[in-house]
Amino acid sequence: MEVMMLLVYDQPGVMQRVMGEFNRKRINVETIVVGKCEVPDRARIVLSIEDKEKALSVIEHMRALHEVIEADLVDHSRHEAYALLFSRDGVCRVTGSVDEVDAIVKKSQPERYVQAMNAI
Amino acid sequence: MKGARAAVELLEKQNVQVMFGIPGGVLLPFYDELVQSDIRHILVRHEQCAGHMADGFARVSKKPGVCIATSGPGATNLVTGVATAFMDSSPMVAITGQVETDKLGGDAFQEADSFSLMMPVTKHNFRVTDPKVFPETMKKAFMIAMTGRYGPVHIDIPVDIFRAEITDEQMAKEVRIPKPKRNLSELLDAIKLLEKAERPTIMVGGGVAWSQAGGEITRLAEMLMAPIVTTLMAKGSVAENHPLVLGVCGMHGRQVANYALNNCDVLLAIGTRFSDRVTGKLSEFGRKTKVVHVDIDSSEIGKNVKGRVALVGDAWTVVNALIAGLQKRTKVATWRARIIELNKQCTCNYDLCSEPLKPQKVIHELSKNLPDDAIVTTEVGQNQMWAAHFYKCYSKRMFITSGGLGTMGFGFPAAMGAKIARPNCVVADIAGDGSLQMVSQEFATAVESDIPVMICLLNNGWLGMVKQWQKLFYGSRYKATQFTAGSPDFVKLAEAYGAEAIRVEKHSEVAEAIKRGCKAEVPFLIDFIIDPEEDVLPMTPPGKTTADCIKGRCQWKGEVC
Repeated sequence: MEVMMLLVYDQPGVMQRVMGEFNRKRINVETIVVGKCEVPDRARIVLSIEDKEKALSVIEHMRALHEVIEADLVDHSRHEAYALLFSRDGVCRVTGSVDEVDAIVKKSQPERYVQAMNAI
Repeated sequence: MKGARAAVELLEKQNVQVMFGIPGGVLLPFYDELVQSDIRHILVRHEQCAGHMADGFARVSKKPGVCIATSGPGATNLVTGVATAFMDSSPMVAITGQVETDKLGGDAFQEADSFSLMMPVTKHNFRVTDPKVFPETMKKAFMIAMTGRYGPVHIDIPVDIFRAEITDEQMAKEVRIPKPKRNLSELLDAIKLLEKAERPTIMVGGGVAWSQAGGEITRLAEMLMAPIVTTLMAKGSVAENHPLVLGVCGMHGRQVANYALNNCDVLLAIGTRFSDRVTGKLSEFGRKTKVVHVDIDSSEIGKNVKGRVALVGDAWTVVNALIAGLQKRTKVATWRARIIELNKQCTCNYDLCSEPLKPQKVIHELSKNLPDDAIVTTEVGQNQMWAAHFYKCYSKRMFITSGGLGTMGFGFPAAMGAKIARPNCVVADIAGDGSLQMVSQEFATAVESDIPVMICLLNNGWLGMVKQWQKLFYGSRYKATQFTAGSPDFVKLAEAYGAEAIRVEKHSEVAEAIKRGCKAEVPFLIDFIIDPEEDVLPMTPPGKTTADCIKGRCQWKGEVC
């Protein structure tokens, strides 16, 4: 699993342009997190992709985009994950390492859930 | 001032002298301001052709072509023109009108999401929704089109931006021009490889045409004693009468060019993206070859051909750096001598005088009779490949074609754009009857705007290239490729628009017709009725190697690989 971090302009159309490149290269994004960041009017996109070769093939294309300021593959020796579990009892938030979150999700067998793996 | 006035002034400040387009509802404020301007506006008959004309203009002038279309259908029609420019890295600023900002997304009359439509076929695109940044955005568009690897930039402008008030302060805001990206850290590796090479070959692509580095590359070739092969996009960027220039390689390329490409030990590839039409089967391409890849766009390096020495920079700069690094060394001339000998053997006689008229004969006479500064454009299909293979492009001649997208109907409007950029040159479109029928309405534009281009129509009554594939790969089961009763009388068609036209059916009349076309002061069509059975050969079938080449008339006896 590869993690890519992009610094982009915080404006409409940016996600479409970034995802357009992934679409063209037939790369499925496992997880994506976007939000405001320390730089005003900029946003950070963190996303993860299964295949290293595909991640490497798309990174130069990311850098070529005019709304992308920085694009890098990041070291992710510590696999962080986040999950939201929905059950009859309410919503439960889980954070921790990928293995921990994975184990909790499997164990609790929630009705619905979403997992953000390797991208936070 | 109003946004529309600002738009016209910004175009004037960018030194735009001509623009191509069709007005529409949301563009009315802009066109109203254009009345006062010196910018020449060419009224086309279909927005696609506005794109191709701007593209042709850009390829000749090396300045961004400007085209404009209205919202909705205007924008969707323009997409083909913009996509063609994108695939061939042609600088362009494409402007589309849009419905009012507050109506966006509401399915208003003539609303289309042109911002999204244009996104994958532009280098970058903008939708202006705030008048404050409008002047800055226009400047950015021109800057982006012309920095680094050239490309089309699209701006979608809602009509309320044209009506909004723009301040002088906003107009004065300048944009930062980024430094050109260069990475020559592997220059020494490249020089070492080239010095050690016994059989080096230089392959030049469209980047060399844009960078105008042909002269320097010929010098480098002489130093390395290396032959030069060109891609379709680079045809004309190096003089084809030089003994080391082997011409176009690839699917319909000259066999000696493919020989040099497949038998070199070091390949210096400059400004090319290794298109499938050049490489054939990618896994077989360059297996025995070390590749030095020079490109202005770092994302091209390693995209199709892996394992290479990479130099990132524009062709002219990098080639000069290589020349400086390689000076004062002599090499053994065996490879050079062998290539020159093979090149002589590959020069066949195509002055074919049999009936019905052969297309090779027409191209042969064009080579002989066009002036040394003539600009040739082509459509897409057999006409394009005959032109690429048989036309000799040297001196100040130029060759313009839709190589990447392969847009039928490109050549005629591109010729008009080229003629506007260089009104004193003869501009000839080598056309096919299939392609010309896609844009034949532009005779009206050519006559009305006084753009005297020559159209050399190779008329065989078929969608010839598709027919050829049906013949070779689908057991001659022809479907939807022959034009029967529906084809027009092209001479009458051209004359109906006020152009001049003649029909040529005999080989003895070809040269005279071309000479007449060169002197014509109005758009001039020559309807060459050619042999419908003639295929474009040699041909390397798609996904195969040159060992599987179908030769036809080709006399090549040299080894294949």
